[in-house]
Amino acid sequence: MKATELFQKYPLAGNTWDEMYDKENVRLHYQNVYESLSRIPPDELGKKEELAKSLFMSQGITFTVYSSGEGIEKIFPFDIIPRIITASEWDFIDRGIKQRLHALNLFLKDVYHQQFILKDGIVPLDLIYSCPHYLREMQGVNVPHDIYVHIAGIDLIRDHDGTFYVLEDNLRTPSGVSYMIENREITKRIFPDLIPQNNVRPVTQYPNILYKNLVALSPGQVSAPNVVLLTPGIYNSAYFEHTTLARLMGIELVEGRDLVVENQKVFMKTTAGLQQVDVIYRRVDDEYLDPLVFNPESVLGVSGILSAYRKGNVAIVNAIGNGVADDKATYVYVPDMIRYYLNEEPLLKNVPTYQLSRADERDHVLKNITNMVVKKTNGSGGYGMLMGHSASDKEINEYQLEILKDPRQFIAQPVISLSNAPCYVNGKAQPRRIDLRPFALCGPNGIEIVPGGLTRVALKEGSLVVNSSQGGGSKDTWVLAQ
Amino acid sequence: MLSRVADSLYWMSRYMERTDSMMRMLKINYASSQDNPSEFSWRPVLKIFFNLDEEEISKLDDNSRKVLQYMVLDRENPNSVYNMVTLARENARGVQDNITVELWKCLNEFYHIVRGDRLTYALQHGDPITVLDTLIKECTLYFGVTDVTMFRGEGLCFMRVGKYMERAIQSAEILDVKLSDQSYDLDRPTDATYWKYLLMSISGYSLYLKRYQSGFEARNIIDQVLFNVDFPRSVLYSLNQLHRYFERLRSDRNIEGFSKVQFNIGKLRSKVQYSDVQTVSNIGLHHYLNEITRDIDDIGSTLNQYYFAYS
Repeated sequence: MKATELFQKYPLAGNTWDEMYDKENVRLHYQNVYESLSRIPPDELGKKEELAKSLFMSQGITFTVYSSGEGIEKIFPFDIIPRIITASEWDFIDRGIKQRLHALNLFLKDVYHQQFILKDGIVPLDLIYSCPHYLREMQGVNVPHDIYVHIAGIDLIRDHDGTFYVLEDNLRTPSGVSYMIENREITKRIFPDLIPQNNVRPVTQYPNILYKNLVALSPGQVSAPNVVLLTPGIYNSAYFEHTTLARLMGIELVEGRDLVVENQKVFMKTTAGLQQVDVIYRRVDDEYLDPLVFNPESVLGVSGILSAYRKGNVAIVNAIGNGVADDKATYVYVPDMIRYYLNEEPLLKNVPTYQLSRADERDHVLKNITNMVVKKTNGSGGYGMLMGHSASDKEINEYQLEILKDPRQFIAQPVISLSNAPCYVNGKAQPRRIDLRPFALCGPNGIEIVPGGLTRVALKEGSLVVNSSQGGGSKDTWVLAQ
Repeated sequence: MLSRVADSLYWMSRYMERTDSMMRMLKINYASSQDNPSEFSWRPVLKIFFNLDEEEISKLDDNSRKVLQYMVLDRENPNSVYNMVTLARENARGVQDNITVELWKCLNEFYHIVRGDRLTYALQHGDPITVLDTLIKECTLYFGVTDVTMFRGEGLCFMRVGKYMERAIQSAEILDVKLSDQSYDLDRPTDATYWKYLLMSISGYSLYLKRYQSGFEARNIIDQVLFNVDFPRSVLYSLNQLHRYFERLRSDRNIEGFSKVQFNIGKLRSKVQYSDVQTVSNIGLHHYLNEITRDIDDIGSTLNQYYFAYS
């Protein structure tokens, strides 16, 4: 096949998996898109990129950055070339995530009840009790249907040979699902007919599945449960996502100040007095949820909500205290959990991870720090990371001091290269690193994963960090039907 | 409906009504400033919409472009179009799940226009009427989209309640400022263009010609702006609409609040309904118009207390 202008001189990186190219050849599942895009004149693609931007802007798919009292609307950078996943790759991901999530839910129930896994010595006791997200307040609390993780955003990456690895389990309030939905809508606008031509599986059913699961959790004997979405408010960077989900599910979007707890029941303040709330899909972190129990300074939460939850008068999604299972030090034990609870071999691999609380592993990491990524066990958003291969000596020295102060707070992983995918940069297709966050929904009838997800892109050339807070963008993510 | 949501819809609607009314006012006054520079003054407009002291007014008075800049784009001016559209959009942003996507898009796009460099440039160098027409069109679009897409429910009722309260206040205030220019003397001979521009600025000119047929006479103007129920910007028309939409909020679950607000609305509506130009001028026009705006403010606080209070 003759390379056209767009894909001409596409620099293939050595020792890195490229989603589109197998050496010099375009992979089968990318060929249709490759040909379609090659037919579009380059300046026309630039216009399409502009159109995508203006669509995001006019629909308010933005987050607001406040500087000197004035809000400035920003869009989350979007790359117009879709990321494509084959049916068989997806089948594997689907099974792998279901298996992992199943085990993680069992783990959370176990940790907050009998703690067999700790007693059997599979997961060390001190690891759990030293985890800041292990909440004693949740010990012995029964949650509806024993489901703790209703919504998971497990991050996957691909190593140089294309093997999928789990990078992180996001089990608290994972975000980004609105971009899975909206990116698809944008692709429909900028590339008419491209989606039907490629037999791409739809993602629009996500809100319906989530709503069905939320209703099923209602604790009361009510025919029409009152389900709400609790947001920290318009200043939150994911506020657009909260409004989108509330709108698509037809549920009320509430803030902490809209709710009040009386007699261990949660009510919302309406124009016709108080109305009881049965299920809360919260996007407020544990720490801010109840100022009476957790952070007393919090104005985002609701006083007394934990007492209503413990009493079983309200369902909260995701459950409180899930952080103990997606702590980066607990992550190390997830394959063991799968073997312990399910008696199965894990399908999805973990990235090899060193716990810096262990002296031998710590010594190894400190000796080889230039080949390591060191992370905080409770960090997120790409903050507080040390990328050993690109850090200066000074940064490394300072970071080492931090580690030695409290080694439990750190883990290290060898640098995984992450796969490349072609991105439209300055009129040319350029390889950029990507990851994948599929969204899994867990309800009383099992786990469903909408075929798609959020592909995040490290838009800076050579960067391995895809987090939006670190200059990352996203792509529409296609799962092919066959 | 959440109290916070009702509150936001109500204010979103009030800000948009005020924006619309202000821009029509600006457009006609600008036209008038080009027509008759010796007689023209921005003073009444500046008085209606802004609490400026005399010194600030005299600084602006003779410079139409400066006045427009100040009223459309000035960020320091809390009543500028820029700030009101921002506030309306901020209110809408917090209740996106309670308005239609179309309505949200419409306000969001308006917001981006108001903040865009193109508008700043056009207002400095272009034709102000064209600029104002573009903005008025955005407002009209907002009203149309509301009408065509918004679900008929509590939310729309609160929007309409806010809108007609704001409109009644605007009409009463515009009339008051214009009459104060004439020292409330209804027999004082006035240049016809004075009243003509007043009527045009509240889109009441054609109706006036058809209805009153006489030349411009202060008593007829007052009659139209206060009592004419066919004139969509008259105080009585606005109060009738306010009454109509508030009645739809009747509910067994908030009987106390409902009857308090209903009482206030009914009382004010009767007061206006059973007055005419003669009785009003006997009472004193300034006093009467002031009472109307005060009564509407009272309705606002009662609504706030019984429907919107949430924190």
